[in-house]
Amino acid sequence: MSVPFERHGESIKVRLSEPERAAISGLPAVIEEAGGAGGRFEYQVHPEDPAADRRYQELVGDHLGNLRATDREAFAAAINARSLDIEQAEGLMRVIGEGRIVLAMRLGIEADGWEESASVEDPEVAMLHYLGYLQESLVEALTP
Amino acid sequence: MTAPTTTPVDDPVFDDLDQPDHPWHVVVWNDPVNLMSYVVWVFRKLFGYPLEKATRLMLQVHHEGRAIVSSGPLEKVELDCQRLHHHGLWATLEKT
Repeated sequence: MSVPFERHGESIKVRLSEPERAAISGLPAVIEEAGGAGGRFEYQVHPEDPAADRRYQELVGDHLGNLRATDREAFAAAINARSLDIEQAEGLMRVIGEGRIVLAMRLGIEADGWEESASVEDPEVAMLHYLGYLQESLVEALTP
Repeated sequence: MTAPTTTPVDDPVFDDLDQPDHPWHVVVWNDPVNLMSYVVWVFRKLFGYPLEKATRLMLQVHHEGRAIVSSGPLEKVELDCQRLHHHGLWATLEKT
């Protein structure tokens, strides 16, 4: 069985079938709809010092949000491409990771070991595993 | 964190965690979703750590709930934090 992502020099070959592309095409929308994902994406740098955290948030402004949005905007083109450059593949990997975080939040996953008790019949659990498979393949492809 | 791997490098490797002139630590916290292999990849990518060190830090996060992954002046560690957040890792700062 061929792997979904494979490195060829400085590019990453994409081998996703049409059903696979269709299955994950809505991921950016799922992430956007999740907003802060119950606080998971509302990062605090100084959780013990609200004033310092406010200063940090004012300093960085929307920069992180813009970076995340840029990754999501590039997602559709990335999954429909035959090959990606390294930067595109890294962005795709980050979106897949965020998608897993959102699904985990929706499934109420809060501790390690969730795989043992998660129902394989649940479509969101299946998607969580599938996205993990894709992310693992990207990690391998992006590792020189 | 979730099961198994390895990675690339952006910046030169420097092991600065024990230097006395670094008043801030970046702490990465465990979460049950990010893949172990992905976390190792992120540590290597962002900090230029060799595989062994990145893996050790990932395992420390996994088993102890947290690990200090970088240190330095505030300006540097805040940037480190933001880069970790961009990769979906939960990171905070604490004074040394």
